[in-house]
Amino acid sequence: MLLELDKVSKHFRGLVAVDNFDMSVDAGELVGLIGPNGAGKSTVFNLITGVWPLTKGKIIFDGTDITDKRPHEVAELGIGRTFQLNPLFSDFTVLQNVVASFHLHPKSSVLGALFNTATYRRNEASIKEQSLEILNLLGLDKVKDEFGKHLPHGHRLVLGIARALAVKPKLLLLDEPTRGMSLEEIDLALGAIERVCQQGVTIVLVEHNMEVIDFCDRVVVINFGRKIAEGSVDRVRKNEEVIKAYLGDSNAD
Amino acid sequence: MKWKLPYLSNKGKIAKPGFWVGLLIILAVLPLFIKSPYLIHIINMTFIYILVTVSFRTILTSGQLPLAHAGFMGIGAYISAIAAKTFGVSPWLSIPLGALVAMGVGILIGYPFARLRAVYYAMISLFFGMLIISGVKAFAKWTGGAAGLTGIPPLFGFNKVPYYYFFLGLTAVSLLILYRLESSRPGLNWKAIAQSYMVAASVGINEARYRIIASAIGCLFAGIAGATYAHYSTVVGPTSFSFMATIMLLIYVVVGGVGNFTGPIVGIFLLMTVPELLRGFREYVPYISAAIVLIVVFLMPKGVAGLVNSFLSWLAELWKKRRTRDAS
Repeated sequence: MLLELDKVSKHFRGLVAVDNFDMSVDAGELVGLIGPNGAGKSTVFNLITGVWPLTKGKIIFDGTDITDKRPHEVAELGIGRTFQLNPLFSDFTVLQNVVASFHLHPKSSVLGALFNTATYRRNEASIKEQSLEILNLLGLDKVKDEFGKHLPHGHRLVLGIARALAVKPKLLLLDEPTRGMSLEEIDLALGAIERVCQQGVTIVLVEHNMEVIDFCDRVVVINFGRKIAEGSVDRVRKNEEVIKAYLGDSNAD
Repeated sequence: MKWKLPYLSNKGKIAKPGFWVGLLIILAVLPLFIKSPYLIHIINMTFIYILVTVSFRTILTSGQLPLAHAGFMGIGAYISAIAAKTFGVSPWLSIPLGALVAMGVGILIGYPFARLRAVYYAMISLFFGMLIISGVKAFAKWTGGAAGLTGIPPLFGFNKVPYYYFFLGLTAVSLLILYRLESSRPGLNWKAIAQSYMVAASVGINEARYRIIASAIGCLFAGIAGATYAHYSTVVGPTSFSFMATIMLLIYVVVGGVGNFTGPIVGIFLLMTVPELLRGFREYVPYISAAIVLIVVFLMPKGVAGLVNSFLSWLAELWKKRRTRDAS
């Protein structure tokens, strides 16, 4: 098992955002985490990546307890993630975004950078090469010299994935990778996710778009911070509680 | 709240290395032609303040507004001055001592302060700067209090020319170090943190660590500048290191251009050196300075250095177009 959440809870003062939430992800899976707005999906991501401390529970990743780890430590262990808002460094170019994200592989010392040592130059050359590879893989090579802030919305979110790949993740957490995209943009994003999957990266994604959810091996449904269903897409679709959560009682199809 | 700064890409450089080597050579022979000690003094002060302002901007690139920066210059100045005057330490040893103490304090306050961002950091550092000044006034027995500390042992006696070469060398080497850091991996991390600390942390950049590194380096060079200044002027007073002094640093950087490494240098030259040279018109100088600040703030969002950059790249573009037209 690559990732295991064990009875995870998060309270914001009186508000229970995540409640006794269990989830496990095997290596190589593509898991969808779905639920209505405000159900606690993004909160789960923020708990895994150490943005917020847990109120209760335990998170194990790849045999390591990451419950109390901070965001940069979680990244070091091999969890990459994207963000819904602010997905990138907007004053850097696309290439600089990915290059700046290669902080860990390989890692350079401050003194090495200051004296421009041979090792440092070699590291930076390899980083640039790997960054260009990632941009090629995700279809962003044509816009590599554009500034982040000048990119269209869809490209920004895909650049978020490119950035996350720079930590060489074993597990990738994608927070609504197709949010607010046009049809062509969704194609770009889906293509990107598919190619990342083929590289053998395990993915958990939060999504509303059914087209994306259909790709998933398995979905976990969350509502009011609790897991209400889990299983294959088809099975979950027929689940009473899921239908109720999404459509309300009187409106079931 | 997020602190937004207008960064340029690394492409926006004012000139190639050749320009700087040429400038260095011109500066090296300049004292042979300048006979006025007063003019040499102005250039010496310009060197010192370039160092302070560029190191101020280094901390700014990591997304923090260090409102105690002149205070750190003061820590370097007073520690070195007291060590040399009261304890008889050679200035050659007391200057590094003062600089290292400034860096140490920079790291110490950097540690708890690294958790604070933007406005909160600015506020806390402002209070810390005031604390430094209060400390100077409170320990009047050592520091001379508000009246200032006099009789600090000079580094080279009273001829200004040796100081000129000393400051030229010191500033050149320091700027080279700061430039190297900014244009390589540490600088990339600083700018990444400044733009989005969440995204930076998600790729493994330790935000606190890099903010402390920026603070340590900035304070080290502020300390060096302060300590050498003390043994140059032989008199230091708390007003040079007050909150107002830091605000002046901020004005130099904003006028010169935050996004450019050369910005602070341009700002110092326009707002410190030129007004000093115009001291025949002393009563008008504040108006001229204010006018420069207003013009820059309203018309040049990237500062004077940013404008010069844009102009140069416009010229280069024009030149390229002409060449391609001639070729076809």
